[in-house]
Amino acid sequence: MLETDRNQLHKLVEEALPELDMVIGWGQSTDSFQTTPVFVRDAKQISQLTLGPFCSQNLTGYLVKPPALDAAPKEGAKPIGICVKGCDSRSLVALIQEKFLTRERVRIFGIPCRGTVDWNKVGKLVDLSNVKSATVEEDVLVVDDSQTTHRIKLEEVLARKCYGCRYPNPLIQDVTIGEPATPRSTSIESSYRDVDRLDAKPLEERLDFWQSELDRCIRCYACRNACPLCVCQDKCIIESREPRWLTQRVGIPEKFLFHFIHAMHLAGRCTGCGECERACPMDIPVTLIKEKLNKIMEERLGYSAGLDVEAVPPLLTFNPGDTEI
Amino acid sequence: MTDEGPRSIAPADGTAADTQGIKIVGFLCNWCSYGGADTAGVCRFKQPTDLRVVRIPCTGRMDPLFIAKSLIYGVDGVLVSGCHPRDCHYAVGNFYARRRMEAFKAFLPFMGIDTRRFKYTWVSASEGQQWQKVVTEFSEQIHELGPNPGVRRQTGENSKVSTGLR
Amino acid sequence: MAVKIFIATDQLDSVLEKLATKIDLWIPALLKEDKSGPTGFIPYEPGKSPVFERQTTLPTKKLLLPQVETLLRFEYKKDPEGGSTSSIVVDDARQVRPTLVFGARSCDVRALITMDRVFSQGPYVDPYYVERRKNTFFATLVCEQNDSKCFCSSVGGGPADMEGSHLKIVKLDEGYVVEALTKEAGSLLEGLGEAVDKAKDTKAGKIVKEASKRIVGDLDTKGCAEAFRNRFAQNDFWVQMVSQCLSCGVCTYVCPTCYCFTITDETQNLKGERMRSWDSCMFSQYTLEASGHNPRPTKLERYRNRVGHKFSYIPEKYEGILGCCGCGRCIRSCPVTIDIRQVVGNLKENSNEQ
Repeated sequence: MLETDRNQLHKLVEEALPELDMVIGWGQSTDSFQTTPVFVRDAKQISQLTLGPFCSQNLTGYLVKPPALDAAPKEGAKPIGICVKGCDSRSLVALIQEKFLTRERVRIFGIPCRGTVDWNKVGKLVDLSNVKSATVEEDVLVVDDSQTTHRIKLEEVLARKCYGCRYPNPLIQDVTIGEPATPRSTSIESSYRDVDRLDAKPLEERLDFWQSELDRCIRCYACRNACPLCVCQDKCIIESREPRWLTQRVGIPEKFLFHFIHAMHLAGRCTGCGECERACPMDIPVTLIKEKLNKIMEERLGYSAGLDVEAVPPLLTFNPGDTEI
Repeated sequence: MTDEGPRSIAPADGTAADTQGIKIVGFLCNWCSYGGADTAGVCRFKQPTDLRVVRIPCTGRMDPLFIAKSLIYGVDGVLVSGCHPRDCHYAVGNFYARRRMEAFKAFLPFMGIDTRRFKYTWVSASEGQQWQKVVTEFSEQIHELGPNPGVRRQTGENSKVSTGLR
Repeated sequence: MAVKIFIATDQLDSVLEKLATKIDLWIPALLKEDKSGPTGFIPYEPGKSPVFERQTTLPTKKLLLPQVETLLRFEYKKDPEGGSTSSIVVDDARQVRPTLVFGARSCDVRALITMDRVFSQGPYVDPYYVERRKNTFFATLVCEQNDSKCFCSSVGGGPADMEGSHLKIVKLDEGYVVEALTKEAGSLLEGLGEAVDKAKDTKAGKIVKEASKRIVGDLDTKGCAEAFRNRFAQNDFWVQMVSQCLSCGVCTYVCPTCYCFTITDETQNLKGERMRSWDSCMFSQYTLEASGHNPRPTKLERYRNRVGHKFSYIPEKYEGILGCCGCGRCIRSCPVTIDIRQVVGNLKENSNEQ
């Protein structure tokens, strides 16, 4: 099935490429299992494109960064093609909502998603240091580590965000590749299980939890830079010298403050794509922080980011009739 | 901010009973609550002395970062006060602020910070008495909670490496 | 005669405990209760078991160049007689204790060759680094766990390379053979472990011999300095290589040889500290000038600088040594799986094009 979808993707991209500036998609990285973003400008590169459960990166952030950004402002510039999964499409909607992009700027190749693999989880079951090959057969991940062939149920090694996913099918797209996927979750309750689990603990335990998790943070800002909606990038308030909100220290308070600000700037804007958590080299559940805010927005204001291009994010507007939100 | 943080001004000995050094930061909007606090002062209403006031142009200026930074580094309480809804000097600043602060208030406990240490309210320039009430109540609440330990400063591996410290 | 001891696997903890009474002891350990989770070097505590099975996520760099260190403290003192005059009291915060890293790898230690060249052998000698370097000892594991992302042999090192190390650790099935490579390190081992019998010695010798024969990585770095210069202005090449870069600091922060730092003063009232902390050439502020101009405005120039620094500027300035130790950490930790081997490899490919 993946093979047919891949061929269809290649065919569709080949047809569309002459009208496009480039197509942003996923390709094989230098190791045998992970994917890396590829920027297809030439028909020769199309064969690099791939799809499936290994395509974890959310590519929409590249639309507001170079080189896609450089291609945009020119007069009469061609649209940019982009491959999106369900969650990625929400980021794209959010970028359009906030007017960082116009719908016409992008040609969207929508890919229904059955979940993406979290290699950290696979690493707990298989030694990933010398993987020869990794493939997917239906709902089983097959990893060959040059000694044995491991067969792992995909459902057990998906990224954390996937288990509460309500929108596996792209919400905005020009073409669809493959069959629609069934959502794993259909309700608020089943989408925020991890948040509820932590919320059920006493306050002190929650503080302890975050103190020990955030202690590992090395302030590399991978979470920030991977986030498609962290649009300030080089102008981030965290790095501002004047005023200087945050010192260079690496104590826990500094890390807390950074993650607080990161989360608050995404309140009502975060689409829960999980890029921050995936990018973290220290295995900190950073998306969980934003999930809590997403839950607050959903429960109190009935708002989820990235569903409607016309909607205004709730913290960028107000209602005089609000009492408590 | 140096390592000692806000506590260095009047160190608490860490016991819950010690509420002598309690510090509350108040962010007051220039047009209403700052005037309200002034009115309370002019009228010589008795007020607790724990509050340090920072004047802001409008509650719309209230960045959650101010509250987060205060509470993380161990300020015992944060009080934000502005014009009553529909009475904002800039028409809508406090409407934006209300949503932001409500979200922040609901978010705080998830990170392990007691939400009772943060309060926002509306006090106009003429409401000296109301201001006295708000400050007294909030101060009492914070005294009951005791000093805020903030977020642990020294732990783990990364901070232990700073062998430059004596 | 070099001092050599044997530590049985079940004796390791008690030996480390004794060792920790002689010197500040650091070991590679889990940073999270998860056996496949992130690892790094932490101060030894009884009961904490070292992770020797795989390379640590974070290198030993922070022991010589902490992520943040206080260079000095200062305090303005007001003149009690009044007036606006005040004096400044400056206090050097340095305090370094002898430290042993038990379980480093040759790539970690190899990085010090580059660091030494920069911090202690150039025209400017950094007293903070020098003092730490003098007081830090490395017990290095003969590496048997290289993975598909390691390439130490390509940059002049190797799994059994002991250059710069003070002690050599060989892991056998039943325990560890630890050999002192310097006299000072030998005294650390006094009274610890058991004598090494002939059988174990032979076994250890065999492991070392095999490890030193192993070639890890197939990157050819010969001529990369020149190739980089030829590529420098080829914008298209760099667009192709680094379009996916996020410009985050992961690669530089997990890199054992990245030594760039920034200095900031943190003051409150009349007191303050001057601190040195890691910087990253991937950040915009790294080259941001006071005028607001930034000579490296995008990730393209920044990533190009990182490659150039490691494979061209350093070797050309410092007699051919590379600014890379081949540990592969930047490849493993990169969120978008950029592979520096591929970039360096491609430097030479048709580099005369255009």
